[in-house]
Amino acid sequence: MRDARGAPRSPLKWRSRSLRWRVTAAFALGSLAIVGLLGVTTYLIAEHYLVRQREESLTRQAFVDARVLRDEIQRRKGVTDALGALDLGARSNVVLSIDGEWYGTSVSSGQSSVPLNVRRAVAAGRAVRQRTEVDGRPAFVVALPLPAIDTQYYETFALIELDRTLGILRSALAASGLLAIVVGGVLGWWMGRRVLRPVGDAALAAERVASGDLDTRMITGQDPDLDSLATSFNHMVDAVERRIERESRFVADVSHELRTPLTTLTTTTEIMRARRAEMSPKAARAFDLLETEVLRLHQLVEDLLELGRADAGVADVQLELVDVAVFVALTMPSCGGATATFEAPEHPTYAHVDKRRLGRVLANLVANAETHGGGLRRVVVSSGTDNSRVMISVEDSGCGIDPSEREAVFERFFRGAGGRRTSTGAGLGLSLVAEHVQLHGGRVWVEGTEGSGARFVVELPGTPQ
Amino acid sequence: MMADVAQSILTVEDDDGIRASLRMALEDEGYAVEEAESAEIALGMLADHATDLILVDLTLPGMSGFDLVRAVRQTSDVPIVIVTARSDSHDVVAGLEAGADDYVRKPFVVKELAARMRALLRRVREPAADPGGPEVRVLRFGTLVIRPEAGTVHRNDRAVALTRTEFQLLCELIDNAGIVLSREQLLERVWGYDYFGDGRLVDAHVRRLRTKVELDPSDPALIVTVRGLGYKFDA
Repeated sequence: MRDARGAPRSPLKWRSRSLRWRVTAAFALGSLAIVGLLGVTTYLIAEHYLVRQREESLTRQAFVDARVLRDEIQRRKGVTDALGALDLGARSNVVLSIDGEWYGTSVSSGQSSVPLNVRRAVAAGRAVRQRTEVDGRPAFVVALPLPAIDTQYYETFALIELDRTLGILRSALAASGLLAIVVGGVLGWWMGRRVLRPVGDAALAAERVASGDLDTRMITGQDPDLDSLATSFNHMVDAVERRIERESRFVADVSHELRTPLTTLTTTTEIMRARRAEMSPKAARAFDLLETEVLRLHQLVEDLLELGRADAGVADVQLELVDVAVFVALTMPSCGGATATFEAPEHPTYAHVDKRRLGRVLANLVANAETHGGGLRRVVVSSGTDNSRVMISVEDSGCGIDPSEREAVFERFFRGAGGRRTSTGAGLGLSLVAEHVQLHGGRVWVEGTEGSGARFVVELPGTPQ
Repeated sequence: MMADVAQSILTVEDDDGIRASLRMALEDEGYAVEEAESAEIALGMLADHATDLILVDLTLPGMSGFDLVRAVRQTSDVPIVIVTARSDSHDVVAGLEAGADDYVRKPFVVKELAARMRALLRRVREPAADPGGPEVRVLRFGTLVIRPEAGTVHRNDRAVALTRTEFQLLCELIDNAGIVLSREQLLERVWGYDYFGDGRLVDAHVRRLRTKVELDPSDPALIVTVRGLGYKFDA
């Protein structure tokens, strides 16, 4: 599920994060959810309880104050004196409305301190209490009609302290939410590491198996939940090991069974070659045919066995430190490339190579150039200044290889557009080149030259100087 | 041995076709050929009379080629060439460790096999070429005494049995004491190979040589490995 540029699509972003990252995030979010839920519940319960209690006590106080005021006024005191007689806290104010006249216990309080709906309710003869705001600050108003003295009584209480208490509670709960994220995250990270350790072990073991250490097994019996992973892994490696063993035995048996008669064939051919002069012309012609085909069969069997070993994963690579330029220069004459131009850098081009395999690579590339490339033109060995890679390019003077076929030429039994055969006669030469180069950890490709021919480039990992 | 008497080769090979064709081909090369179709028969023949070189197929029914090589090496330094039809290198290395001098793979080209055999047989005859000549050197390295011209090695006055290949390898290293010899150089000088010889021939022979001449073969003091380059004799 990738778009044209190869970037993962956005729905996969979450999944593309590492498992450990996800466990950490899940733990952080989970603990935040739990603490958040508890916090909100706690806050709501606390607020409800605190507010109700405060409202009850304020209501009681307002009724007491109202009674005191009524008694004072009934004792024929002036309204102002009566108001002065009230023992009000710093945070409460009383506003009276008598016959449309408004009186307040402070300069700032008056008719405007009381919400309209409250005034109307009281005017209608009902007692009211409600939360409100005075000068932008939270307040609580208790309003009641006092019919005995024909007065409407309003008492407002500032709720700053209650508000502050609730504010502190909110902050404390928010802080615990943040702490929950951090603690949850750390816990998740740690848990992820613990839980993922067996996965890491499995990855390490798999890597060792992949690199050829088939004796690697995972330890079982440590944790019943993880045993199934370890057991399946071990079963898999057992199966792989048996399979490789079987295939390698098969390849070994096949090579023995094929090479035994081939040895007799090649040996008797040599004996007959020495006596060719004694043969009748017809017998000599027949012998020539026989010899050619025996050699071809020999090469085909060797090539197939080589591929079989590579496929069975039992190819053994004997790496030696070799100056590639020297190796190529010494090899070219013996594989028919003596006449081609050879170029190499002044500095040594050391690389770890299997001499037999690299020799086959060169022989097959030269044979390919001679058979299909109109003849070998130039062989160039080059390496970068740090010698981290060593390149061998083999150029021919043919008509090049169509770009659409430049990958296919390395496939087994490939035949070009003209149905032509490669040097081994079976189309295995270049596929073997690819196998050999791959076993060196290198790569091979074909490109066009400045002229019209083809250039096969073998790139080997070099030994940096 | 007189020059006009053909040198004798014993081929130990269970496949009738190969045995018959090998006889014809080696006779064409001028050798007298004896045949054995199993290791047991070969041992019987060797007990009866000596041969100049043994060609041993490694996969024999009954007693294996490896065991035959080991058994022969108990008593003889006759050159042994092993023949293998397998591709993996374990066979070759194991055969060389058992005491073989060289190897060929099936299917071989008789001309190449004959060249290998000639190199080994020439080596066998060299020490006898100038017996008791005026120049008989005696080289001493601690308790090890080597007489290159006489072809003998003694440790604490007890003779050490080296095959001819091992002896020539040792002499080559001693002649160039203090100089690093690459595997290619040793292959060329001791086995007569060109640049493309198999370096494992050298490695296997050095290992075997060490078990015979070093006081502690696991920590060699005389034949030292120079990593990535080759071997050196430290006098």
